[in-house]
Amino acid sequence: MLPTSLAVALATIAMTLAPALLLFWSWRRGLFRDMEGQSRVIFEPGDLQIDRPWESPPARLMREVAYGELLPPRAGEWGGAGDAVMRAAEPELGSSR
Amino acid sequence: MSAPTIVRENSGGLAPSDVSAVAASRGLAPEDLDVRLRADASSRRAVLTLFAVAIGWLLIGSIFGEIASLKMHWPDLLVRQGWLTFGRIRTAHLHAVNYGWATAALIGTSIWLMPRLVHTELKGLFGAIIGAGLFTIGITLGIIAVLAGYSDGMEWLEAPRWLAGPFRVVGGGLIGLSLFRTVAARQNEHLYVSVWYILGAFIWFPMLYIVGKWPTYSGVESAAANWFFAHNVLGFWLTAMSLGAAYYFIPKVLGRPVYSYQLSVVGFWSLAMFYSLNGMHHLVGGPLPTWMITTSIVASIFMFIPVIATGINLHMTVVGRFGALRYSPTLRFIVIGALCYTAVSLQGSFTALREVNRVTHFTHWTVAHSHVGGYGFVTFVCFGAIYYIVPRLVGQEWPSAKLIRWHFNLVLSGIALYVVSLTFAGVLQGLALLDPQLPFAVSVQRTIPGLYGRSLGGLLLTLGHLVFAYHFWIMVRRPQLAGRTRPPFHEAQPVLYTAEAVAADGARVRPAIRAAGTSAAVATPRPDGGAT
Repeated sequence: MLPTSLAVALATIAMTLAPALLLFWSWRRGLFRDMEGQSRVIFEPGDLQIDRPWESPPARLMREVAYGELLPPRAGEWGGAGDAVMRAAEPELGSSR
Repeated sequence: MSAPTIVRENSGGLAPSDVSAVAASRGLAPEDLDVRLRADASSRRAVLTLFAVAIGWLLIGSIFGEIASLKMHWPDLLVRQGWLTFGRIRTAHLHAVNYGWATAALIGTSIWLMPRLVHTELKGLFGAIIGAGLFTIGITLGIIAVLAGYSDGMEWLEAPRWLAGPFRVVGGGLIGLSLFRTVAARQNEHLYVSVWYILGAFIWFPMLYIVGKWPTYSGVESAAANWFFAHNVLGFWLTAMSLGAAYYFIPKVLGRPVYSYQLSVVGFWSLAMFYSLNGMHHLVGGPLPTWMITTSIVASIFMFIPVIATGINLHMTVVGRFGALRYSPTLRFIVIGALCYTAVSLQGSFTALREVNRVTHFTHWTVAHSHVGGYGFVTFVCFGAIYYIVPRLVGQEWPSAKLIRWHFNLVLSGIALYVVSLTFAGVLQGLALLDPQLPFAVSVQRTIPGLYGRSLGGLLLTLGHLVFAYHFWIMVRRPQLAGRTRPPFHEAQPVLYTAEAVAADGARVRPAIRAAGTSAAVATPRPDGGAT
C-alpha cells in the first residue's frame, strides 16, 4: 500500500539516510579525529586563564597551574551587568587570594 | 593582603585595527585577539539588527498571546473586531514568537557564533543584512495577512505562500549563504559541534519548508505534511540552533570544555537520523496508515538517545559549578533552557505513546508541552545568548543588574505558572473527554482554573519581556544618547579603580572600594606587569 503522503515518506527517508551518509563521509574525511582539540576550539587564548570567582580554591589552583596566573574578569564577562559581578565578588574583596 | 583587581571597560580605547597593546596587556598574541575582534566586528550590524527585530516581535507576539489566552476564559472579549478573533490572533501569536522572535534571535546568535567558531570574519555581510531585512518583511506580511483573514490553512504554515514565502525563502537563503561562505573560509582545522548544529539547521529548514508548503496536497495528505513540517521545524530548526548556542555558552562561561565531546557528537548525529520520523505522532488516532503512526512512535522513543546524550553532557558540565549561576545571567538562562530541553523531549517521547496520547491529545497538555519547548528551552537560550553577545557588540555592559533579575524572575515564574496550570488542566480535560458519562461541557469547565493560570502566567511573561526590551533599548541607545562612542567590548582596556576613577564614575564602584578598605588603587599587580 502506498503511503498516504508519498512526499512526506520520501522526505523522511531522505532526511534519515542523508545524515547517515554524511556521517560516514565526515568520518572518512577525518572530521572526528582529535575530539579533545575540537572541544577546546571555542576557547581563545586567555579564556581559561580568567579567574572564575565561583570556583573553589583547589579548582582555582588547578586552573592556575594549568594555564598560568589567573587574570581578572572584565566587567560583564559572564553576560550580565557589572554591578552584579561586583556585588557577587564583594565578600571576596579584602580576603587573601 | 591583596585584593583582587576589579576591571571595567575603558570608555576611551584603541583604534579598531590596533589591538597589540590590549593583547599584550592580557598576555595574548595580537593575532589571537585580532581574530576575535574581527569576528565580532564583522557580524555586528547584522546581529544587532536581528536582535532588535526579534525583541520587537517578542513584544507584539506576547500581546497577541495574552489576548488569545484571555479569550479562552472571557469568550466575549474583543469579538467585534474580525482581526482580533481567536482564530487569527492565536495564529498571529504563533508566527510572531516562533518566526519573528525565536527564529530571528537564533539566526542573530548563529551569525555571531559562526565567525568565532571558525576563526574568521563573517562573509557576505551585506547579503546577511539584506537577508535579515527580507526575512523580516516576510514575517510582517505573513502576520498582517493572517490578521486580515488570509491563511493557507496549515498549522505553523498559515502565512500565504505566494505573499510571505518568497521574502522568507530569499531572506533565509541569503543568511544561510553567508554562514556557509564563512565556514568555507574557516581558519581553523576543527569544526565544533555548534557548527554542525547551525549548518544542519540551515540545510534542514529549506527541505522542510518546501515539503510543507508544496501546493498540491489535499485531504489527509495535508495533515501529514503539516505535522512533518510543524514538528520538525522544532527539532531541526529551533532546537538545532538553540543546542548549538548552549554547547557554546555553557562551556565558554564556565571556562571548561563540555563534559564529553564524544557524547555531543552522538547527540547531534542521532538527532539528525531519528528526529525526522517523529511528526506523525501528532496524528495518533487519525486517518493515516498504522505503520506511519507506529514508525513515528518508535522514532519518538529512539529520541531518548540524543536527548539523554545531550542532557548528560550539558548538565554534567554544570554539575559542581552551580555557584556560577549567581554570577552569570547568561548561564542562568541557558542552564534552565537546557533543563527544559531534557524535560520537554522526554515528555514528548512519552506523550507519543498511544496510552498517554489518548488522554492528552486535543487538550491543553499539548499547549503546555509546546511552551516548555518553545519558551522554557528556546526562548531562555535566546535570552542568555543576547545577554552575552550584545555587550560585546555595543562596547558596554548591561546598565542594570536589577533589570536582569526582574526579567529573569518574571519570566521564570510566568512560564512555571503557565506550564503547571495548563498541564493539570489538560489532564483533567482529557480524562473528562474520555468519560462517556460526562457531558462535553464538563471537560471545558474543568479547564477554567488552568486557563486563568495561563493568563496570569502570560501576563508575567509579557511584563518580563517589557523589562527586557526596555533594558535592550537603553543598552543599545545609551551611548548615542550620551553622545559618546565606545570601543567594542574586547577592545576596551581594563583599568584601575583608582580614587580618581571612582570620583569620575560615581557610586557604581564605591561598595567595592569600601569593602577593600582603601580609597586608593584596588588592584593586584598583573603577572605581566602590564596595565594594572
